Parts: sequence; C-alpha cells; structure tokens
Amino acid sequence: MSDTADQTTSVPEPGAGQTDTIVLEGVEKIYPGSTQPAVSQLDMRIPKGEIVMLIGPSGCGKTTTLKMINRLIEPTAGRILLNDKDVTHVNGDLLRREIGYVIQQGGLFPHFSIADNIGVVPKMLGWDKQRIRERADELLHLVGLEPSTFRDRYPRQLSGGQQQRVGVARALAADPPVMLMDEPFGAIDPITRDRLQDEFLEIQRTVGKTIAFVTHDLQEAVKLGDKIAVFATGKLEQYDEPETILTRPANDFVSDFVGGGAAVRRLSLLDLARLELHPIETDERAVGNQNGTPVAEVDGSGKPVSWRHLPGAEASGTPLVTVPLSGTVYDAVDVMLDGSASLVAVVDEEGRAAGVLHWNDLVGGLRTRKGDA
Amino acid sequence: MSTATTETVDSQSDVAVLEEEKKQGRFASLWLQHYDLVILPGIIVVLLLALLLYIGTRDLDTIEQRVLAPDNLASLLGQHLWLAALSTILVLVIAVPLGILLSRRAARRVQGPVLAIGGFAQALPPFGVLLLMAFAFNFGVTTAVIGLTLAALLPVLRNTVIGLQQVDQSLIEAARGMGMSSRQTLFRVEVPLAVPVIVAGLRVALVLNVGTATLASYIGAGGLGELVQQALRLNRINVLLVAGAIIATVALLIDWLAGVAERIVVTRSG
Repeated sequence: MSDTADQTTSVPEPGAGQTDTIVLEGVEKIYPGSTQPAVSQLDMRIPKGEIVMLIGPSGCGKTTTLKMINRLIEPTAGRILLNDKDVTHVNGDLLRREIGYVIQQGGLFPHFSIADNIGVVPKMLGWDKQRIRERADELLHLVGLEPSTFRDRYPRQLSGGQQQRVGVARALAADPPVMLMDEPFGAIDPITRDRLQDEFLEIQRTVGKTIAFVTHDLQEAVKLGDKIAVFATGKLEQYDEPETILTRPANDFVSDFVGGGAAVRRLSLLDLARLELHPIETDERAVGNQNGTPVAEVDGSGKPVSWRHLPGAEASGTPLVTVPLSGTVYDAVDVMLDGSASLVAVVDEEGRAAGVLHWNDLVGGLRTRKGDA
Repeated sequence: MSTATTETVDSQSDVAVLEEEKKQGRFASLWLQHYDLVILPGIIVVLLLALLLYIGTRDLDTIEQRVLAPDNLASLLGQHLWLAALSTILVLVIAVPLGILLSRRAARRVQGPVLAIGGFAQALPPFGVLLLMAFAFNFGVTTAVIGLTLAALLPVLRNTVIGLQQVDQSLIEAARGMGMSSRQTLFRVEVPLAVPVIVAGLRVALVLNVGTATLASYIGAGGLGELVQQALRLNRINVLLVAGAIIATVALLIDWLAGVAERIVVTRSG
C-alpha cells in the first residue's frame, strides 16, 4: 500500500487517472442498539484488477465491510468510491446490479434453471433473451460446465462445487468491473475447494476483475490474495501483500492470527524457480571427482531416476524424489516428507534435473537468486 | 461434492438417465411418479356404484323420488360448491396478502398477536359462528360466505407467514446482493419459494369450507346440507344415505383435486 499512501484523498477530478477501483474513506458502521462500532474509521484502497482478501476472526467486521461496498449494509459514516465515483448515496439496487456478488454455496435460486440463474442481472438490466442466453452459455463454458448439459438443469441437480461455479458465473453475468465474494468456497470439501480456487485464479487471469473476498481461511487468503487485509474487532490491523503479512506481521494481533503455522505457510509463497539451487550432475564420469555434487542416474530421456552418488551418505538408501521447477518450496517439502528423502531433485518442464534442494537448506536459510527479490 | 472425475461420470450417467426417461415416454414416468393419485377416485367410484345399485333395488315413494331427482341434486350441489369456492377465493384474496404483509420487517411485531387472534378464531366452532352471524346480520348466502371465510382464514394466513419465513435467508441476501429491489425479491424469490406451503394451507381451507358449507343450509344459504335437513324432516332414510354419500364424495373429490393441484405446483417450483 505504500504506493497509494501519498495519493490525494480529495474528490478526484473527472477523468483523473486513479488506479484504485474500490476506495473506502473513513467508513464506519455502528449497528442500531450497539455502542461499539462494527467497523470503525476504515480507510482502504483496492487497486484495479487485484484480489484483496478480507480475513479475521468472527465478528471482526470483514463481512460488514464487504457488504458496505455494495451497500447491502449502509455505512454510518464515511465515503465509498467505485471507479472514482462516490456511490455512498446512489440507489443501492442499481449500484448492486453493477457489482458481482458471490455468497457461500452460490446462493442459487432453486426455482430457476441454471441459465435463468445466470441471467438474473442481465434480465434486470434489460438485455434481450438471445443475448442473455448466449452470455449464459459463454459463462458456463468459462467455469468449466458444458452449457448443453447444464443450462436447463436446476440447482438441486448439481453438486456443491458445480453450484459454486454457477454462482461465480452468475456474478460475472453482466461483466461487472468489481466482484464481492463472501466466503464462496467456505462450505466446500477441501479437495473440491482447492480445485475451485485454482479455477478461480485461472478465470481471474482472463477477466481481471477487482475483487474483495471475505474468508476465514488463512491458507485461502495466502493462495488467492494479491493483498490481505487482516481485521480485528472493526479495525484494519494490517493491509499488505501475503508475504509481508506472514513474514512481518504489523503487531501482536496479526502475528497471533497468522499463528504458529506462518513459517510453513510462507513456504508456499517461495517459488523454486527463484531459489539458488545446489548443482546436480547427471554425467556418469562425474562419479569419480567426489566434489560434493550429487550425481543422479538418468533414463533415456534425461529424467533422473535414482542417485548414483551422494556426498557424505550412501546413495542406495536415499530414494530419488523430484519436484517440478514451477512448484514452491512447500511442494518440495511435501515431496521430501512423503518419500522420506533428505534431498529432492528439482526438474524442469522436460523432466531434466535442474538442481537439488537439501532438507538442511530449509533451516540453514534459503538463498534466492541474485537479481531477484 | 466430488472430484473432477466423478463429476464427469455423474453428468454422463445423468444424461443417460434422462435419455432413458425420454424413451420410456412421458406417460410412463408420470404414472410411476403419481400412481397414488388414482387410488382415491377409484375407491370413490366403487362406493358410489355400490350405493346406486342399492338405491336401485329400493322402491322409492314420490317424495323420495322428488328429493332425489337429478335436477334437485344438481342445483343443491351447485349452491354448495359456489359457497365453498367463493369463501375459499375470499380466503385467498385476504389471507395471502395479509400473510405477506405480516412477514415484512415492519410488521414483524404484530405478526404474533395477529396469528394468535387467528388461532382463536380457528378454535370457534364454525356452526356457532354461522348462527351468531346470521342473528347479528341476516340469513342468507352473504352471511354464510363471510362465516366460512372467517373460519378458514387462519390455515392460509399461518402457512403464508411460515412459507415466507422458511425461505433461505441466504437466497434473499443473494437476490438483494445482485440488485433486486425488495419488491422484486418478494415476488421473484420469496413468494415463489413459499408457494408450496401457501398452497397446502389453501387446500386445508378449501376442504374445511366444503365440509362447513353443509351447515350453511341452517341459515338459509342452501347447499347439500339442505338435502340432509329434508331427509330428517321427511324421515326418509334412503335420502339421508344418498345425502351423506354425496357430501362425503364431494369433500373427498375436492381434496383430491386440491392435492393434484398442489402436486403440480410443487413440481413446478422445484
């Protein structure tokens, strides 16, 4: 957020190039009958095309904040700007038609077919039938559901994961620049959730929406978020990139919230491609030189299959495990634990050995490549 | 919820099932789903035939013949159905909008008291209500219809309120979140989803009215109750038998029809 801190907080000039799509200024919410604000004096800027994860314990105000952006909950004080336009006092219903909204389990209408569910907002916006139909098919395709199979079905005929995909498709229907997602994957089983998250990121790469995403799952926040906003009882405690949240929590609350698993979670943010790996030899003649470089035996296509020589250890006892260069350190650790190996061969796209990562590297400090952050 | 592979398998087998159903033909699948609806009319027809056979073996005197003449029966049946239909339509027109109003946020506070009063009205014996109203106003069809309407108001009112209450809050939130106004949310999401419960209440009201309409004859509003009165006055057991059979048949058939209508509505609204 450092790059936006010095930006003007006054009303922007028409046409002024501002990169923040969602801007909250001094937003506050006090529920009737309560003295404690649910959200107090919140300033937040969500840059165009980014996914911001709102996370925190229950009752921290993350959902209230999300719902104030589309004014499902009316803020008590402060201003909300979308694409430089003050929307604090515009007609809420019309505003919400311009903002995608996804809730837990999709919130699909059981008495509408899948196509009709997707067509809800376009219909309200007065699109003609043909256009709504084409859009529904296009979106079903985008979320990986075959239109001819699914468009005439009803939500109860779909699995939870499929319903959630339709929920995302429905939010995208009128191509809104902003999407709000309220724990969309919360009630989905872990395996399906993981896949939905991957697909969601894939879709986001195509559509490039500005997204505010409420979750209670730190893993999800780290995986999906360009930025993470950590909330505590109505206050924004830290708003930063996932890596910073994990490595440099702003205060005790954030570090408590990030919790003991932070060091492990951080591993999933470290791409293997960015690391300085130990060299690996696949040449048979290298066996003799005993210079501390592990030597792997390769098959015909150059893929390492077993260790021929390992410095300081007997090669026969250690299985050769591999991890793709496109993975993260988390994946490498997973593979090592799984195979009871103290080192792992990192392989490139063709499956050829690119380097070695030792178990000891994890505690000895990982070296990133020169020139990389 | 399933993984990638099982999802594709699921959808494939679903398609297969659908195609299979098409092959079997619509009639067959309808029969499989709704064969239970045929049982009741079957029993009624058999019992009516038995009654007709029995009456056919009796020598009817002129009084009996006159009372049981098809013209007379048809006219009384017509009056009866008119009473029941009119009062049920009034119930529909009054109780459903009232129930919708009561379920609005602004009216939540009066919801309890109104339902309590409704419950009280429900506990009053319909016969007593009819008689009291006849003395308070006057004898005739209008009073009977008002009495029947009052007596059957509660089931529909209560079911409307409950039907709207049980609509998943997250669906309402989804509707509002997508930009539906509260009116659009009500008529496109809440009411359609409450329809099965409301229709169940209407069915109860209709059956109640068909039964209670028998008593309308005591305040001069006609109907099949007239037949019972004539039979008792003239001391003709055969007429009484036929009267009882017709009243029971009409009640059962109306309930059956309402049941069929209810099933159609429920199937439609998924």
